[in-house]
Amino acid sequence: MSEQFSRRDFLKLAGLGAATTAILTGCGPASRYVKREPYQQMPEYNSVGQSTYYATTCRECAAGCGLVVRTYQGRAIKAEGNANHPLNLGKTCARGQATLHGLYNPDRVQGPSTGDWDSAIQSVADAFKNYKPGEIAFLMGMAPDHLFDLVGDLTAAAGMDAPIRYGALSMFESRATLSKAAENLFGQPGLPWFDVGNAQAVFSFGANFLETWLSPVAYTRGFVGLRQSETKLRGVLVQFEARMSATGAKADHWVPLRPGTEGLVALAIGKLASELRGGATPRIFSGVNPAEAAEQAGVELEALEAMAQIFASNAVLAIPGGAALGQSNGLETAEAVLALNALSDNFGKPGGVYLSALAPNQTEYSGPASTEEMAGLVEKMKSGAIKALFVHGVSPVFELPAALGFKEALANVELFSFATFPDETAKEAKHVLPDHHGLESWGYQRVATGVSQSVLSGSQPVVSPYYNTRATADVLIAAAQLAGGKFAEALPYKDEVEFIQTKLAALLGEGDGSFSAPDAATFMAYFQQYGGWFKNSNALIAPDGSGALNGSIEAGEAEFAGEGEFFFVPFVSPTLAEAGANKPWLQELPDPTTTVMWNSWIEINPATAHELGVEDDDVVKVSSEFGALELPVYRYPAIRPDTVAIAFGQGHTAYGRYAENRGVHAGDLLGARFNEAGDLAFGGVKVRVEKTGRKQPLSRMESIMGVYGVGLGGEEH
Amino acid sequence: MIRPEEIKMSAEETGKWGMVIDQDICTGCQACVAACAMENNITFVGEVDSGYGRSMHWIRIERFWEGEYPEVKMTPQQPMMCQQCGHANCEPVCPAFATVHSQAEQLNLQVYNRCVGTRYCANNCPYQVRAFNWRDYQRPEPLQNQFNPDVTVRRMGVMEKCTFCIQRIHKAQDTAKSEGREVRDGEFTTACAQACPANAIVFGRVDQPESLVSQLKHRRHGVKHLEELGTLPNVTYIKGG
Amino acid sequence: MVKKFFEWLKKPMGLIAVGIAFLALFSGFAYWLNTTQQSPDQPIQFPHKTHVAFGIQCLYCHPGASKGPAAGLPSQAKCWACHNQIAKTQSSALLAPLKDAVLAGESLEWVPVAIVPDFVQFNHRPHIAAGRNCEECHGDMSQVNVAENPQVMNMGWCLNCHIEAAGEDQEKLIKLSDCGTCHY
Repeated sequence: MSEQFSRRDFLKLAGLGAATTAILTGCGPASRYVKREPYQQMPEYNSVGQSTYYATTCRECAAGCGLVVRTYQGRAIKAEGNANHPLNLGKTCARGQATLHGLYNPDRVQGPSTGDWDSAIQSVADAFKNYKPGEIAFLMGMAPDHLFDLVGDLTAAAGMDAPIRYGALSMFESRATLSKAAENLFGQPGLPWFDVGNAQAVFSFGANFLETWLSPVAYTRGFVGLRQSETKLRGVLVQFEARMSATGAKADHWVPLRPGTEGLVALAIGKLASELRGGATPRIFSGVNPAEAAEQAGVELEALEAMAQIFASNAVLAIPGGAALGQSNGLETAEAVLALNALSDNFGKPGGVYLSALAPNQTEYSGPASTEEMAGLVEKMKSGAIKALFVHGVSPVFELPAALGFKEALANVELFSFATFPDETAKEAKHVLPDHHGLESWGYQRVATGVSQSVLSGSQPVVSPYYNTRATADVLIAAAQLAGGKFAEALPYKDEVEFIQTKLAALLGEGDGSFSAPDAATFMAYFQQYGGWFKNSNALIAPDGSGALNGSIEAGEAEFAGEGEFFFVPFVSPTLAEAGANKPWLQELPDPTTTVMWNSWIEINPATAHELGVEDDDVVKVSSEFGALELPVYRYPAIRPDTVAIAFGQGHTAYGRYAENRGVHAGDLLGARFNEAGDLAFGGVKVRVEKTGRKQPLSRMESIMGVYGVGLGGEEH
Repeated sequence: MIRPEEIKMSAEETGKWGMVIDQDICTGCQACVAACAMENNITFVGEVDSGYGRSMHWIRIERFWEGEYPEVKMTPQQPMMCQQCGHANCEPVCPAFATVHSQAEQLNLQVYNRCVGTRYCANNCPYQVRAFNWRDYQRPEPLQNQFNPDVTVRRMGVMEKCTFCIQRIHKAQDTAKSEGREVRDGEFTTACAQACPANAIVFGRVDQPESLVSQLKHRRHGVKHLEELGTLPNVTYIKGG
Repeated sequence: MVKKFFEWLKKPMGLIAVGIAFLALFSGFAYWLNTTQQSPDQPIQFPHKTHVAFGIQCLYCHPGASKGPAAGLPSQAKCWACHNQIAKTQSSALLAPLKDAVLAGESLEWVPVAIVPDFVQFNHRPHIAAGRNCEECHGDMSQVNVAENPQVMNMGWCLNCHIEAAGEDQEKLIKLSDCGTCHY
């Protein structure tokens, strides 16, 4: 280097050159060639660069919340609640928000298993023709209702058994028990609706109504009313359950009862409260000894007396919920808790118990099948009475307890699955005929509970189908036409839309609606625009509970299967529920109470864990009479020392990359014992817990936030 | 050295946008967390990285335990996100001026294209609400169809945090301007507040006394977290009862 | 050996050789640089000036510019609405790609020339509303066939105009020079 041109100058110049090159090329068109495809034909109501919003119905559970989905250039961008929908008033739960991770899930079923739809439809038509009507069964999920109606028409005309509806959520909600108890008490079938919002105090016996129970968004609104109201004092929430649920976490008082004693405790509180109020003790409480009840429930008598004090001085709404009813004595518990409401004289009154409004195109209450009815179906499959099974909207291989033997019984049937995702049932199916995702679908859903009006929620496609899927209704219509005869007569429709339009036409003449229209086509257009149709007036049914306190309820001891030392509380994961595990952002949502993400854990009281010699993240083996699981410990401060709990929702063996081989399946520990209403006694299992000596760190939001070096093994970090 | 009397407390704040969060009715349901992730193209990081505390939540719900069984209680759920401090600790430590105060909107901005990933801001944030992109997290086909075109997709080495859904603020302002009017209170809201089934999150103008958020803030007993640090946070928490 | 080579370099022949080598390298670099600055290949050599000469307004084909962020490309149906009535469409080689795409129901893949990076949230509407004309940024389309980007669209260019537009108005200046106006 010479004096005139120093090394420093050279570096400067070189640097300048490099920078110039980078800037020129970086800003040049070559560096960022992207391709843009304009629409060949702009869809109606679309405009370049503008978002388009479509009203539809959420399909993540069967509650029927209205959604408005923002779409942009044919893609769904964001799902939000429909503010004009009476059930959810613009709100959604986390699962509703994550519905787009289902729509654009990388692991959807991309086309029919036969390769083309013609042969797939032919196989359905062949099944209609080749099997006797009695040999064909339809198993449907809790949503959507229009398809249930269509299958109902088909089966009725063809002489098949009516379709069966089932879902793990309905099992954990104990819907059958709830409606049976209401029928026994009021002499009228229906799904009870609890007006939490106008209550002075709420006694919830195992009802996780802020999480997944019946209609969580509507019940959350009720909870806000309980807490904050212009017209009354802040309401009190008391939760009776062995393991503090996310609902229990919001309660003012949490009373940890031994599982299966909820009915007994309800009666004891009723007795104590009526004694406090003075006057004669109603007959229903006469056989109860509060001291013995407290002893059996494993709580102090003073705790019950304190609750009775609250009960005596308030008009209390008593709610029997899933965890309390999933016991062998669940029906008695439900009746005992419902009867408590008579003490507050709140049947059919604000802040009290109603029967839910029937939907506009519904004449009588119809609930999902109980698990016992599902066991009946399994029996028929095993015996060969059923030879072809059509499954839509539910994955029974995953959602039913393994002890029921559904998977084994599939060996005897020709299985048709209409699954959108490659779930465990689709994996076993001979024919997979994938339905569209809910956001690509037409339909309607009857709002079963959660709102005072009679509501029919409407669905329409917000985007065109992404894969080679086909609406199950269209498949069945086409197959019925192919099969001819009574099948074709049962479904004389061009397509799904015509079927829906025909069904909606019945509502044309009805007054008191959220809108009216001169003809079916206009009605359908409004139905799409508003995301449904509802009546303006209050359609809640006031039940007659006059005899509630004069009955006699034998709240016997719950029976438990197995010799284990721990009661077992399975609960539905509040974030994943039964079918959320394949949505990556739902997996990454921390569990509301434990903050665990992406895995399963067993909740053990810290004192018990100490006795067992286990710490957080120690893997234990949990075994019941029916199965065994190995999973890490989470020391949960709010659970009875004699109880352990596992969330239901993980442990998939199929269902896509985010769900597969992750965590454990709580259903594997469950037996096949039912309560008197036929619901599964999912809480009626005792388990043994053993240390394995292994460790498996859980991914948690709490404690380890930002603490590097504490975490999970595996790949390089 | 700042003397205590020099610390401006919330009464003198000069914020523009703010939130009121009612912990008494927050149920911890995570709807806000999911809504935020969907709106803001937030990536999921998977089990291993989230176990290391690298999850990218812009909003998280904190809860703590009090007492021992059977007298155990969960403290009221506390949604925690960027408090959009008027006097933010993150801002002066950024060597790249990537986190700067917006004079126009009175928000703490994170300018992704300026960020060089020193993480000083996250280390300095007393609320621990900043999230760092430790990797280029891939979203397999066709998940990226869901991306919100109004929000930048961040890459490895970039810090990010709650923006109070600034894209929605701009959208509302743009719409209002095109119609020749001011933005109305409640005309738009953030993704978290929009989703919240309990309406526990209320968003709006804290500098307009008639807005809902101002009224809630003054009507009920609210607290601001760590305001003794002089951060002038713009999120007010109502504890309960 | 090396020393000999350096001495040869100082001789006239050596200097010429160095000059030739330098020229070859420079022109190679210039050529490569040039290739990076070429306008991309478009599916149709679209003559903007012909359309402008017919009196068609920019917003007729790019209506999004007055309403929101993206100006947008016209749908093929929009092209075809005029072109299927024009006899030349059937014969012109230039128009063959359009005809083929429309008849086959396939999309044309255009390459935008004026784009900003992902981390810039640009919105056309306020610019149009503020009285800016399309040609101020995109050049005079009555002079060009295939659209070209007449300038480097970098932040300095944006800010210069923003500051100028704000003038003495402090509030406007704060808004127009705020990082959060474009970056989020």
